[in-house]
Amino acid sequence: METVLSINQLTKTFGRITAVNKLDLEVKKGQVFGFLGPNGSGKTTTLGMLMGVVNPTSGSFSWFGQTVTNETRKKIGAVLEHPIFYPYLSGQKNLELTAMIKGAPADHIARVLDVVELTSRKDDAYKTYSLGMKQRLAIASALLNDPIVLILDEPTNGLDPMGIAEIRNIIKKIAADGKTIILASHLLDEVQKVCSHFAVLRRGVLMHSGAVDEVGKGEETVEVAAYHDDLGFVLQEFAGTLSLKRDSASMVVKLKEGYNSQDVNRFLYEKGIVVSHLVTQKKSLEKQFLEILAEADSIKK
Amino acid sequence: MLHLLQVDLKKLFNYRTFWIICGLYFLTLGMATASGMEFLKWLASTFKDFGSKLNIERIPLYHFPDVWQNLAWGSGLLKMMLGIMVIISITNEYQYRTIRQNIIDGMSREQFILSKLLTNLVLSLASMVLVFVVALITGFIYSPEISFPYMFAGVEFCASYFLEVFAFLSFALMLGILIQRSGLSIVILFSSYLIELIIKKNIDDYVPGLIPFFPLESIMNLVPLPFARYAFQEIQDYVSFGSVAIALGWTFLFNYFGYLRLKKSDI
Ligand SMILES: Nc1ncnc2c1ncn2[C@@H]1O[C@H](COP(=O)(O)OP(=O)(O)OP(=O)(O)O)[C@@H](O)[C@H]1O
Ligand SMILES: [Mg+2]
Repeated sequence: METVLSINQLTKTFGRITAVNKLDLEVKKGQVFGFLGPNGSGKTTTLGMLMGVVNPTSGSFSWFGQTVTNETRKKIGAVLEHPIFYPYLSGQKNLELTAMIKGAPADHIARVLDVVELTSRKDDAYKTYSLGMKQRLAIASALLNDPIVLILDEPTNGLDPMGIAEIRNIIKKIAADGKTIILASHLLDEVQKVCSHFAVLRRGVLMHSGAVDEVGKGEETVEVAAYHDDLGFVLQEFAGTLSLKRDSASMVVKLKEGYNSQDVNRFLYEKGIVVSHLVTQKKSLEKQFLEILAEADSIKK
Repeated sequence: MLHLLQVDLKKLFNYRTFWIICGLYFLTLGMATASGMEFLKWLASTFKDFGSKLNIERIPLYHFPDVWQNLAWGSGLLKMMLGIMVIISITNEYQYRTIRQNIIDGMSREQFILSKLLTNLVLSLASMVLVFVVALITGFIYSPEISFPYMFAGVEFCASYFLEVFAFLSFALMLGILIQRSGLSIVILFSSYLIELIIKKNIDDYVPGLIPFFPLESIMNLVPLPFARYAFQEIQDYVSFGSVAIALGWTFLFNYFGYLRLKKSDI
């Protein structure tokens, strides 16, 4: 697949702090790429370098396989961290200004205002907007020039649950058009819902990069309950059991690789036990994320 | 180019402070330059001696060709107001962080500073045109006789007044980029005259030849003080090539320093 963004050994230091450390990353066309990491791990700094506002200390990157100029950025819609607008201008006037800079047709403005449902407030000064309205305007301005790539850094910060769901739908809709999206966020269930790929950054170092689908592959965990006193004892004998834990009314079995919940069910049935409850615990991105970071910590020690 | 100017003007034309400061500036500029004669009359009527010692009707303040240098010099005093506007315009971009978003949206840093520079150019041009028009009108009103080529002797002071304003606005823009805070920048803009004066006083005895090379001094020298001629003193009634060269050099440096700073910094 076509490479949209290619980052090569990108590094940024602020005095003693290395905010981004020899980062290598590729984003392909059509991916919805989640950019994860704890506070201060270097996400915004990386995006800042990609958008030309932070000068890299060393390393390089290329958009669409070309050397980067300001023209490149006009094809990218980006909101980094906070919405930034002229407070004394109305939402409409702010977007007119953005359209002028990006070279976007002026008739796109009404459309993007509609998408983020700000049309009724478009003539009010930006400084009178609520936080959520400011966020929406920022997303509208990122969409203004029909961008090939959309970069969103915590786009749902301060939005109400409805707003979050709307943004999720906007992201999904844009992704369905085959556009590439890079999304930095702390809301991991959001990322899991919309992203196809993700990378984890920790203190500027890339810890993991891969597809979201792969999360939860590998060993499986199964919750089992049955009206049987020796359930735990029987499960211990099962060849696929890696570890076993009692959890109030049920047993939680971690399985060896190659075994799944069907195998557990069949084994118990053969032993004459009929299960009343059998659930495969799907591994969440959140869990995976915490594991990746914990792993990194244990290696460090 | 025109596009960059339009972008910056769009930011300003919807900004109330811009209209207040610029409105005040151009109003003051037009009124003050046009009412010099009335001012002299007022002085004469208020202070009895003034009129008797000096026949004000005999002061050719607005006579061609004196009017060019007289008005250019007087107008130069007001450029501080525009300087403050320029500082507010650039430091706002830092305070609101809109400079960051402008770059993200696809401006290059060169284009950003160019857009500010073009606005400075427009403000300087507008000042020059206003002064030219006022000088022309008042010249026609007050001059006892008007002879065609002679009346425009000294009109080049309009051009050097333009450079004076533009050089000064370049200085203000540079201060704004270097300091990034409006209050401090404005204070430094004011006190830079004082600082330069102190340095000049201290080196005057040793290397007086250096004095014309100081930045604000060079800007002042573009239109030399004309009024001493009415006390029968020798004045410089032409634009000196050396002053223009030095002022142009500083103008280039101010803008270049601003550009260098912008280029190197994370925004
Ligand atoms: N302008 C700056 N000057 C000095 N240090 C900075 C600057 N910008 C960022 N840093 C440092 O770089 C590191 C990475 O910051 P960055 O904002 O990229 O983190 P982040 O991953 O976006 O965090 P968050 O999730 O909190 O938004 C932090 O240690 C931060 O303190
Ligand atoms: Mg951040």
